[in-house]
Amino acid sequence: MFLKNLFKRTAEKIELHDIQAIILRDRPLPYHGVNVFLEILNAASAKAFLKEIVPYVTNAKNWWDNDDAWLAIAFTYEGLKKLELPQSTMESFPDAFKKGMAARSEKLMDINENAPEKWDAVFKATGNHIAVSIFAKGVDDLNSKKALALQVLEKHRGVKLCYQADFDTPIEGNFNHFGFRDGISNPEIEGSGAAHLNSKERPIKAGEFIMGYANEAGNHYPMPQPMEFAKNGTFVIFRKYHSHVAAFNKYLSEQAKSTAEQELLAAKMVGRWRSGAPLNMCPFKDNAALGADARKNNDFDFSNDQNGKIVPYSSHMRRMNPRNSKMAVMSDVNLHRIIRKGVGYGVPLAEGSTKDDGKERGLYFIAFSAKAMETLEFLQKEWVNNGNFVSLKNERDPIIGLNEGKGTFTMPGDPLPKRYIGMPTFNTLKGGMYLFMPGINAIKWMSGV
Amino acid sequence: MSIKQLTQDAALKLKLYLATVGEPLDKAHDVTSAGDAGLRSGELSELTIITDLKPDGARNLRLIFETLKGNLTGARKVGTLHDMRFVFLENDTKLLFCTCYDGDWDTYINDFATKIPEMMDLIFGNIEGWPGIKSPTVKEFILSKQITASAWFVSHPNLTVADTTRLEKIGAGLNKLLEL
Repeated sequence: MFLKNLFKRTAEKIELHDIQAIILRDRPLPYHGVNVFLEILNAASAKAFLKEIVPYVTNAKNWWDNDDAWLAIAFTYEGLKKLELPQSTMESFPDAFKKGMAARSEKLMDINENAPEKWDAVFKATGNHIAVSIFAKGVDDLNSKKALALQVLEKHRGVKLCYQADFDTPIEGNFNHFGFRDGISNPEIEGSGAAHLNSKERPIKAGEFIMGYANEAGNHYPMPQPMEFAKNGTFVIFRKYHSHVAAFNKYLSEQAKSTAEQELLAAKMVGRWRSGAPLNMCPFKDNAALGADARKNNDFDFSNDQNGKIVPYSSHMRRMNPRNSKMAVMSDVNLHRIIRKGVGYGVPLAEGSTKDDGKERGLYFIAFSAKAMETLEFLQKEWVNNGNFVSLKNERDPIIGLNEGKGTFTMPGDPLPKRYIGMPTFNTLKGGMYLFMPGINAIKWMSGV
Repeated sequence: MSIKQLTQDAALKLKLYLATVGEPLDKAHDVTSAGDAGLRSGELSELTIITDLKPDGARNLRLIFETLKGNLTGARKVGTLHDMRFVFLENDTKLLFCTCYDGDWDTYINDFATKIPEMMDLIFGNIEGWPGIKSPTVKEFILSKQITASAWFVSHPNLTVADTTRLEKIGAGLNKLLEL
């Protein structure tokens, strides 16, 4: 695995052995996995289950090595309540976490097409208490880890399996359903031991992502009490998106005649070519070798493209990480980064097809931050569903924005910008929830209180 | 409510009606709540605070404003501030602070804490009880001091500072082209 060679095993200053692996590990290539939701029927039985499952929860020691199957566990607020944790602990959670993602839909711009009333039934259910994810490089590894977890589960009748969804790399070689390379560019975390792959960015303070460490302001974000419960934990954003690949292909074919023009428009919307090659490193055509090279495909910023003529300000990648862009509104980019570990689900659409086959496919967006609720609300409100921060009025993200057939996309050009109109929503939200992912010792604490 | 009050209210409403007759209410100027406190009009919100100053608070702030000759250009850096006003009340013991800005004030509060922490504390540190811009309780503190305005009017509720800057540039560029 080449990724192993990219990370220096030095300067590890955070407690990797106590942090869950999923937060730092990259997905294996290709990946196979399963997301499971469990319902807690009885607190004592659930605590016994936790005690027995702890040894199978993978920690982040040697996180650059992702060859074996790994298991992660997280809890919704309802789940923690069912576990009968101390009242003081329950009260100490941030408000947005207590209320949950659906209740904060207005603040998240999860409205109209994306409103909670339109979500899949499973995300409206009240029995989602524990989420378990297993990732593996191979199907056999996945199945054996799954079997182990099921064995533990079967022994504890107070915990019921209520939802199970498999996921796989959508398109061979780690491409998402739209045909773009996935999983590039996660923030580097200070003290995690990662090699410095982006010379234009500095590692971000661990406290932005993991509890118990100092954040960028030299402070700690609000965290649940007591410290032994919060330490090395983080909050998880889980969102299921339905990807409208045919609509995307159709929009491209309506807006641009030749395949080359269509590919350029798609790259302008994403900020990268399909191979993953960043547009501002190869503005005119894709460079497959660059796209596949993890040492190079993220080593850039936008300081040489301040008018956005190469990478439009509205492109998905530039919105989500403006990397030294001059913005109309003063913002600290490092405060709004998240660790993304999204995975695809569903079978791919026939390549280039503009006709929907009626099958469900898309993305489980999984992300981590010590202030995940605040960060998601900021991103959704400011950088995804607005354009004011880069002087684009209320233009929205072309890929994940709520565009509803009225979306615009501004592409700076010479001498005049080109404006695309009538853009539909290419990714519809089908559900979501916030979870708390405790450190390994914190799970033990939970099983004992 | 007494008959006298009811009659007085009716008379006031009638006078208001006569004074504004023929001027229908424009939906664009509808005012809503800006969240936990304050009013919102279109893309803009207002924030009003009246609070106690520390013993040397007014003196320090005056020195800052005098040194800057009353010019607060630096605030442009924020990019969402339409205006800002500092007024000393009750013999320099209290401060009235009013501002109008784009969106929600708390959205960028974390950014203030890492981008302009010195300036924030230099000014607002003169307020009694200011926890510091980096404090996790700063949001609650501001909220506790905020007084929601009873009425508020802005001319262009849908033009943000960024919009105005852009339109100014477009206007200037267009005029240049026409003068050629």
